[in-house]
Amino acid sequence: MLVVKNLEVFYGNFKAISNVNLELRSGSLVAVIGPNGAGKSTLLKAIAGMLSYNGTITIEDVEVRELSPWERVKYVTYVPATIATTVDITIGDLLLSTEGVDLGLLENYVRMFDLGSLLNRKIWEVSTGELERALIVRGLSRFSKVYLFDELLSHIDLRYQIRVLKHLRTLVSAGRLVLVASNQLSPLLNFTDYVVAIKAGKLLAAGRTVEVICNELLKELYGVKAEIVKHRNIIDVVPIDEVKTELNLS
Amino acid sequence: MIAALLVGSLLSTSGFLIQVCTRNPLGDPYLLGISSGALFAVTLTFAFPPQSPLIFVFRPLAAFIGGFLAYTLTHAIAMKAGYTPTSIVLSGVAVGTTLYSLSLLPQYLILFDIHKVFAWSMGSLTGAGPIELLTCLAILVIAFLIVHNYLPILNALNVSDDFVRELGYDPLKLRRIMTGLAALTASISVAWFGIIGFIGLAAPHIARRLLGSGDVRYVLPTSLITGSVLLLLSDTAAKTLFLPLDMPVNIIVSAIGGPTLAIVLVRMRKYAGS
Repeated sequence: MLVVKNLEVFYGNFKAISNVNLELRSGSLVAVIGPNGAGKSTLLKAIAGMLSYNGTITIEDVEVRELSPWERVKYVTYVPATIATTVDITIGDLLLSTEGVDLGLLENYVRMFDLGSLLNRKIWEVSTGELERALIVRGLSRFSKVYLFDELLSHIDLRYQIRVLKHLRTLVSAGRLVLVASNQLSPLLNFTDYVVAIKAGKLLAAGRTVEVICNELLKELYGVKAEIVKHRNIIDVVPIDEVKTELNLS
Repeated sequence: MIAALLVGSLLSTSGFLIQVCTRNPLGDPYLLGISSGALFAVTLTFAFPPQSPLIFVFRPLAAFIGGFLAYTLTHAIAMKAGYTPTSIVLSGVAVGTTLYSLSLLPQYLILFDIHKVFAWSMGSLTGAGPIELLTCLAILVIAFLIVHNYLPILNALNVSDDFVRELGYDPLKLRRIMTGLAALTASISVAWFGIIGFIGLAAPHIARRLLGSGDVRYVLPTSLITGSVLLLLSDTAAKTLFLPLDMPVNIIVSAIGGPTLAIVLVRMRKYAGS
């Protein structure tokens, strides 16, 4: 159980998150959505204890920012979609550049995300998609109660998008809590149990995916008239008016 | 020989820490102005009578303060210039060149014992006594014990500040400790043996090439060995190639180090644009 109470985050004078309250049950896959600059990454980083905040954030009644590094990794793992690639290290070095890596898990995930042939490549010699796959594997290779994926699905192709989302479902059924911040609403929303929608640092909506996601919410979040297309229970988000004008249809 | 091993280890520790802290493959105490800052401060200590026993305290202390202030200045200028790998090195060169020329000024004006200062500042391992060696050993051991504690976190620091924060450390604080140690290890070497450039740059790169990996936990101990061996070979060459002359080792080291820098630069080109 992840409980966020009266969360506030400041960057200097700028209030990036204001008064967010959340309760998320273990065993669920949660989409964190919102426009650029809404505070998705900030929310995830606060949960990971990576920045200072007002209010409380607890995982199983434990405040993460008070834990030692070695205990911390058992509670929460933060996974970015990209990193600066100016350092002289290989993909293999990147995978091992943290605490609490389980080598057995790592080996499985290297196979699952086809990184075997890339291990000796420098991190600037692979594509952004391959780098994101490596960062996903790095994060998944330790046992944590909560996984936070920042900008997941940004660079990986459809095959790996599906592969990672499917795998997150199995993690969730094993009792973990997974939060995914992303702008790739489809396929993401087909795999999530809950949606947390934020805009300008405020919580706009939170609840079950099917109940929360509607045309009005998307309009409010992104300022675009989009339509949720449900095809045999599969959600797809199509900016229908915009596409029509572009194609000169009516 | 012991001097070569100790100084080689000190300089490679310094270069390695700077490379991790700045995420810059060109990190080196000489290139970032630390050595010249220490050189300048130590030059001033030659104003004291050379027999004074206080010299054994003053010189390393002056070297550390000079080296640390020079690095702080380099860091501040680089921050203003965007903190790219290029701007870090260029601001290091700016600070280093200025301080180096300032350290030549008292020699030129013959304010101090010019021959002593000159012989020392050329970078030579000749004349290492027990006090010099013991202080070097002590600093090396202290640095190694502290760094050893942080090795897994340094792997995270080597990649991304976010990875450090995720483990509950403040990357800025960590960087301050590590650059302090980099200044300390380079300064003690400058205090006794003058400027010996490029070992700090070359040793970690050779270590990474030998290991085929950039994992901090293995690169650090390996670069202590590569740095020691590199300096030992250079020192032997300096002492034997030009007999009966005893050449300052820095001349040999720079002759090897220059091309190494060129190779690193060419390799860097691949990702400098990103």
